[in-house]
Amino acid sequence: MDETRTKNRILDLRNFSVDYGWGDGAVRAVDNVTMHVDRSTVVGIAGESGSGKSTLIYGFTRLLRAPGVIAGGEALFNLSDASASEGNFINLVTATESEMRRVRWSNISIVLQSALSALNPVLRVRAQFDQVLKTHRPHMSKSQRRDRTIELLALVGLNEDRLRRYPHELSGGQRQRVMIALALTLNPSLVVMDEPTTALDVVTQREIIGKLAELRSQFGFAMIFITHDLSLLVELADEIVVMYAGTVVERAPAQTLYDSPRHPYTLGLLSSFPPMHGARTELTGIPGSPPDLSDMPGGCRFHPRCPYAMERCARETPPLAQVTNESRSVACWLHAGDEDAAVPVELRRVGVERHPPLGAENAEGET
Amino acid sequence: MKSIRFPRSPKVILGLCIVGFFVLLTIFGPYLAPYSPDNTSFAPNLTPSAHHWFGTTSLGQDIFSQTLVGARATIVVALIAGLVATLLSMVVGIAAGYVGGFTDDGLSMLSNVFLAIPGLPLLIVIDSYLPVNSRSNSLVIGLVISLTGWAWGARVIRAQTMSLRNRDFVEAARIIGEKRYRVMFFEVAPNLLPILASSLLFTVLYSIGAYVTLAYIGLTSTSVWNWGTMLFWAQGNNAPLSGEWYWFVPPGICIALVGTGLALLNFGIDEFINPRLRAAGLSAKQRRSLGLPRRQRLGLTPVVHSASQRPSTPAIASNTVST
Amino acid sequence: MKVDEVGTAQLQARHLTRLFTTRTPGRLFNANRIVRAVDDVSLDLVAGEVVAVVGESGSGKSVLARMLARIVRPTSGDVILQGVHIARRTKRTLDYSSQVQLVLQDPFASMNPVHRIRHNLERPLLIHGAKKTDVERLAQAALTRVSLEPPGRFLDRYPHELSGGQLQRVSIARALCVEPKVLLADEPISMLDVSVRLGVLNLLRGLCDDDQLAILYITHDIASARYIADEVIVMYAGQVVEQSRGSVLVDQPTHPYTRLLIASVPNHSDPPSASPSSNEQIQTAIAEEGCRFAPRCASVMDRCRVEAPPQFVVGENHTSRCWLYADCPPLEVEVTLSKHLREGDTTKT
Repeated sequence: MDETRTKNRILDLRNFSVDYGWGDGAVRAVDNVTMHVDRSTVVGIAGESGSGKSTLIYGFTRLLRAPGVIAGGEALFNLSDASASEGNFINLVTATESEMRRVRWSNISIVLQSALSALNPVLRVRAQFDQVLKTHRPHMSKSQRRDRTIELLALVGLNEDRLRRYPHELSGGQRQRVMIALALTLNPSLVVMDEPTTALDVVTQREIIGKLAELRSQFGFAMIFITHDLSLLVELADEIVVMYAGTVVERAPAQTLYDSPRHPYTLGLLSSFPPMHGARTELTGIPGSPPDLSDMPGGCRFHPRCPYAMERCARETPPLAQVTNESRSVACWLHAGDEDAAVPVELRRVGVERHPPLGAENAEGET
Repeated sequence: MKSIRFPRSPKVILGLCIVGFFVLLTIFGPYLAPYSPDNTSFAPNLTPSAHHWFGTTSLGQDIFSQTLVGARATIVVALIAGLVATLLSMVVGIAAGYVGGFTDDGLSMLSNVFLAIPGLPLLIVIDSYLPVNSRSNSLVIGLVISLTGWAWGARVIRAQTMSLRNRDFVEAARIIGEKRYRVMFFEVAPNLLPILASSLLFTVLYSIGAYVTLAYIGLTSTSVWNWGTMLFWAQGNNAPLSGEWYWFVPPGICIALVGTGLALLNFGIDEFINPRLRAAGLSAKQRRSLGLPRRQRLGLTPVVHSASQRPSTPAIASNTVST
Repeated sequence: MKVDEVGTAQLQARHLTRLFTTRTPGRLFNANRIVRAVDDVSLDLVAGEVVAVVGESGSGKSVLARMLARIVRPTSGDVILQGVHIARRTKRTLDYSSQVQLVLQDPFASMNPVHRIRHNLERPLLIHGAKKTDVERLAQAALTRVSLEPPGRFLDRYPHELSGGQLQRVSIARALCVEPKVLLADEPISMLDVSVRLGVLNLLRGLCDDDQLAILYITHDIASARYIADEVIVMYAGQVVEQSRGSVLVDQPTHPYTRLLIASVPNHSDPPSASPSSNEQIQTAIAEEGCRFAPRCASVMDRCRVEAPPQFVVGENHTSRCWLYADCPPLEVEVTLSKHLREGDTTKT
């Protein structure tokens, strides 16, 4: 890895695996995931339930509860700040408890799906911030803490009078804003978001996403954003990682992934959202249901549901390999050869109109 | 429910053994007894020996035979009382919790009254009104004890029912047109099974205590042998003061053992309900062999370095190996 | 109107209203406040059509479905089943539940974890008078109808052994096995994995087209409403704010709330931006007086704060509850109702 890339890398996951259970009863929930996050970028992880997306982030932050265990791999996290000349990496997998405590919240903070259960129900909003600041910024005085809290609340668009409220007195959107403000309290370099908007209404979701984009450009933190809604990621993320059954099946720049998915699962996911424009035609989605972790199909894990499955797919697991001449990777045998001709029309390179009419209009409008 | 898992925890196995042993004693005890418990033909105050394992009373009765015979009445009464009390608490608790409104107010008031009245004095009062000949009847005594032992369980079940009442599957049963009693006893009740089982164990335990106490104060028929009447006679003949420990210790130990067994079984129910307890229930040895830290710490996911871990492969071809 | 071509209305709601009393914490005293969860909603569910109700949480859409299923009692208003007026105070009868069935949102929670799938399908059959000998066959047929094949493989499973998508199909099968005329679906896909949602939506559409079921599809996802529905209703704070046939409402929204809703759907062509109402103070406010949406509305006028707007007919089969269309004629529900009622009456006599 060259110097500049090392310096700008925030998180490097290498062959990261997580199991549920021990010994013979172990079930692999995240299998050999390799991915990275660069400074100030937003990486979106898309996947359905059971894809291992949440397990992955709880795994590398070491927050996963029993019976979850890290079964292998490395999670290198860069502790140095943007101005440093070189990276100062710590392996979160081998870190001790006190090292972990130092890294968490000051360098990596986390926003969960349910803000109500993440906030302490018996503390007022102000006390929640006080707790974090007292622990990590012991030199701050009471009034300094108060000023910082008001500043943070203002950042996420909340008024000062929310300070005295209890979590249950706030609406879902307001609670999620408080969570985001809490996550930003110590200026972390990486913020991990686990479906922060899934429980919210669309209008509120739109406001929060807008706020996040704004805050990111203001403070330059990197973000891992987990969701099952691919179209949401296209708006927010720089790079999208698509996970299926514990493995990464495709990784590509957001817009590229949206315009020309190369993995059949990504294509299926994108065509699973009924469009808001264009003719009303019948869409099919993806047949079948996501696999059971304890009963994983052999070969490519997606092959029983894949409309393009070949005989080879049932036998061999496709590696996550870089697509020729493109800055993206895909784990699919369709793209194993060099020539594009063997690839179904829908999964070919940019410029080919996708078969399901989704986004067809938009793509035309932009190109 | 699902196929029964065989319990792995040593606590539960020990509990099962103890309770199993006393169940066998209940069934076969009277046949195994070497002598009649009423037989006064032996020498009085014999210390334990090969002929009289637990010695004899000051009236010349074989204590070992009394203990064996006494097991049946004690445990049968406790079981009857426990079953009836659990049934009562289930009906009252589910009805109060599910129906709500005035029904709930009335039934809650009733169970609160029974909770507030001290059990033992009430028991003594009711018992003293019983005709003398019915005091030897296990069923009657069992019913009387159950009357004082159901209220606590009813409150717990009511609370649990109230949280189940708002679950979607209850609403779904109403949508398809299920009658109220069917929803209560076929949809809600099966979900309370672990609590009912736990409640049964504790009411049985309570009933043993209550029955033995009644017998000890002499409020049951002294012609029926149970562990309480043994204690009654031992006390009446000043056994504790005259050093005849072998007279009151055997029934005492039996009562304590049954209690311990039931309490240990209750751990099994906990383990059954709470899968996290099961997962964390690895022994220290198992943990070490898997490379896990000795104690699970909250907020630090352990790392396993087992044989199954694959060597690092180059980043780009990370998925070539399948599980 | 299309009503003439397709069958008669199976289930009609007229001026359905449901009030709830809530306690709002005050400084000294808790004040009881009346919340109009559903306020004067009228709609027709017609055989062979899907009516979609779109709304955010708190819009009253779920309460509406439960009133139509008669497990929540309306405060006022009428429910008319196949032209027969159902008295508000009477208990829900077995006959009603065999005609109108409700599918709940969370497939995992709506199946009793201790019973097998078999129990879930056979109970409704037995309750509604199927013969003991036929029950197994009918349960299998119900599973086949929702494409769970082979049905025998599913009957003896426990709910936790099935995936969310499969369970929601079982849930629909449970509703279908009593052969209802009306199916109410309360957010049937929101708890499901993205990849299986379309399957369930297509299943509902198929039941509607092939078996002439009248379906009420409740959702917060306006795109899925556009995909499946013959008629779309948008609700805000208990009221119908916009209503149209087909996807007119999505393609040419008239009400400011509908516009906001559509603009909020993730869509990569518009870059994310803080929307005009991102000040949290007014975000959740519902006006007590005047138009309920006025505090959040981008095109609010003085009149909106004082006077509540009626539904205006802004186009053919398209109404909008907004003063922007004050020059359009207001909607009169009774007129359309009597037409339906007459149809119902003639078929009766």
